[in-house]
Amino acid sequence: MNAILGNMFITMNFSTALQVVILGFIGGTLSGFIGSGGAFFMTPGMMNLGVPGVVAVGSNITHKFGKAMMGSKRHGELGNVDKRLGAFLILTSFVGIRIAVWIINTLFESGGGSHGEGGGGAASNLYISAVFISILSIVAISMLGDALNKENKEGGQGPSMKVADFLSHIHLVPYIKFPVADVRISLWVIMAVGLATGYLAGTIGVGGFIGVPAMIYVFGVPTAVAAGTELYLAMFMGAFGAINYAYHGFVDIRLVILMYLGSLLGIYIGAYGTKVVKEVLIRIVTSTVILLCVISRAIAVPMYLRQLGWITMNPEWDGYFNAASKIMLFAAGISGVLIILYNVIKAYRQRRRIQYSLKQVREAA
Amino acid sequence: MQIICISRGTSRAKKVAERLAGELGLSCLSREELVEAAIQEGIQVSKLETAMIKPQIFTERLALEREYYRAFTTLYLCERAMAGGLVYHGRTGHLLLPGISHVLRARVVEDENSRIKDAMNQLGVDLTRARRYINNVDEDMRRWVHSMYGVPWEDAAHYDIILNLNQMSLKNGADALTHVAQLPDFQMTPVSTKAIEDLRLGAKARLFLARDDRTKRANVKVRADDGIITATYLPHDAGVKDIIPEIFARLEGVREIRATMATTNILWIQEAFERGAETFRQVVQIATKWNAAVELLQLIPGNEYWIEEQQSGASETAEATMTQNPSILENNGGIEDDDEEELSCEDRGLKSMLEELAKLGRSGGGKVVCGGVDRILHSIDQTAAYSLVVIGDIFLAKGHASRMRMARQLQSYLSDHVKAPIVNVEELKTQYLFSKRDLLRMLGYFGLVVLSFALVFANQEPILKFLSETGTKAKFLSPIAVFLFVPIFAYLYGNIAKSLMKLIKME
Repeated sequence: MNAILGNMFITMNFSTALQVVILGFIGGTLSGFIGSGGAFFMTPGMMNLGVPGVVAVGSNITHKFGKAMMGSKRHGELGNVDKRLGAFLILTSFVGIRIAVWIINTLFESGGGSHGEGGGGAASNLYISAVFISILSIVAISMLGDALNKENKEGGQGPSMKVADFLSHIHLVPYIKFPVADVRISLWVIMAVGLATGYLAGTIGVGGFIGVPAMIYVFGVPTAVAAGTELYLAMFMGAFGAINYAYHGFVDIRLVILMYLGSLLGIYIGAYGTKVVKEVLIRIVTSTVILLCVISRAIAVPMYLRQLGWITMNPEWDGYFNAASKIMLFAAGISGVLIILYNVIKAYRQRRRIQYSLKQVREAA
Repeated sequence: MQIICISRGTSRAKKVAERLAGELGLSCLSREELVEAAIQEGIQVSKLETAMIKPQIFTERLALEREYYRAFTTLYLCERAMAGGLVYHGRTGHLLLPGISHVLRARVVEDENSRIKDAMNQLGVDLTRARRYINNVDEDMRRWVHSMYGVPWEDAAHYDIILNLNQMSLKNGADALTHVAQLPDFQMTPVSTKAIEDLRLGAKARLFLARDDRTKRANVKVRADDGIITATYLPHDAGVKDIIPEIFARLEGVREIRATMATTNILWIQEAFERGAETFRQVVQIATKWNAAVELLQLIPGNEYWIEEQQSGASETAEATMTQNPSILENNGGIEDDDEEELSCEDRGLKSMLEELAKLGRSGGGKVVCGGVDRILHSIDQTAAYSLVVIGDIFLAKGHASRMRMARQLQSYLSDHVKAPIVNVEELKTQYLFSKRDLLRMLGYFGLVVLSFALVFANQEPILKFLSETGTKAKFLSPIAVFLFVPIFAYLYGNIAKSLMKLIKME
């Protein structure tokens, strides 16, 4: 893949631009559907297009900044944002982001090939991929297990609250009270969660998948408040991440604005989809898509190992690995979006049919 | 049919309730009996308690169990009350009877030290354990009430009277409540009788759905108004559409059944409803887009001075309010004048509007509320999922400027208590309907977005070079540039996308 400015930024032709827009659309649709930022799809998607991992993460976190800003206003109106909790999490998440940026920058500057030879990136690509695979496979498997769990299907008490229960028995002063979320949490626990969320957001661009479950399962925050507060937090994390990555020269503004073209439209479609698709199906689709994204990323790993000289392989095979990874990723994303679109269009047409028949009845009367 | 609900803030409240019931000749019902009846019904009360009190994700099934519990306990309370009056003591029984104006809502409390002492005696534990027990009990209660009803348990505004037994004997506490219970404010009126009848019928209808195997897993909201039952169900429960009328046909007192498929609700507050009005068309348009049921609330301001008195806070107006507020009557020894509340609460187009909405498949039921803003809040279900609250034309008897000001005050007041956007008619048009202004804005923003793209892609290399520059000055300029450019671009394009969705009626 051609690149400019020493393999830092890819050459943008119409085909590549279109693929980025589609990436943004798929990421946005999935994001609106499942309530996360969509980075689990967009970050590896950009890497498949030949974008160095560090630029993919930097561009994605910058994209997240603007998107979260647009979304958090609505949640604020509904009273779903605990700004006090957000403020505590923001402080420690900034530290997490700084740590992540430092690690990635160090790895990037240590050398190694990119998708073409020469330039830096293989080490940081491998590191990002490894974190992506390990964290998101846990998220996907537990989500899938939760969705398929028979007891939950029959309406059991929901996912295990062992962590929250365990922590409630440990007396870790000082405690902070959060009135909107209606919880009392140890400061140390908040700091640990904030640090982890920031680190992961700064490393792979994924914050919502960690932050929201952490708030629900670890803090005991109601789901709506967790989602709203996470979005509020994402705005600040995105801003801080954008500043940090831009400072090191890792933001490709072209990718950011192209992703917006797709994502800010897709998010509405995804959000509409949540009204017409059953909760269990949402979880199954989400976890399957994430799992396929994880597998797609795992397929790309041998390339980075070869580029670092850790394994011996024919360099010409890099193209095949990348193609396989890309096909799997896009297949996963497109399938997920198609399922959502199918249900959305079906509901839309059903609504129009009902309106039409109601109109007929009125006119007859 | 007197109804008194006592919230127990101390273990001695039970004795107060029993004494009060004895003095007034009413039956006494405790929460323990109510819960036992619910368990006999088959409701998993302990599971609900655990889910609400401990941090949990509320699954769809638990949410349905909660609805089942609410329907059962509401019906139980209504039927016991209608059988000759009731003194209920428990957590917050009055919240099961929203909109029933003659319910006396009392809370009986003691200071923490007295409660701790009682706990030490009753449980045989030391001071530390007793204190922890009391704190846990209060915390559990708070979570239960918040989860079940969406309101704060300790808020004094939810009670008509709070008795502190620290300086008062049980007998005197019960006597004080007896006197208050006999005030005209807490006597049954034709309006409150109708309200309790409607509540009973609605609860019974919901209970029937929960008991039937075909509908027990469906998320259906039910309300009754003068024999007309409105059931709102979600799209993925569309299969119950034909079963609901069959089940409700078994209910006594049902005149009409309206089943509406909707994913959310819009609450429309207005003083008089007209079918041909522009606001009606706009509300229906939004409801159709959002697949929402429209719930009507006809507000008849009982006292135009009420809000102004609140606003001014001037004590000299209080006396004026007392004589002019029809809902505050003097204690005249039982000789009653005509009920002004009844006379003022006539239907001003509400029924015909409900029929019209039912024909459109958008009816979410309706009610008439006479009085001030507190009555509105008590009538609104705090746990209902409203996507929008529309304040239409109200305070019609006032001049234009006063009407606007009072409507804005109401809007501001409701914003503090209801978790949904609260808009007036003007904002409804500009924010939720696509207009020429939206078109112009969309075109303007589109131009700016195209310009941004042109600038960025026509100057790719210099821009990327600037962003990846390693010289000291550029290192600080590039983050600033990104920080400024990105949100502006997101705002511009985000608004284009939002307007486009509004245009195709899919936002």
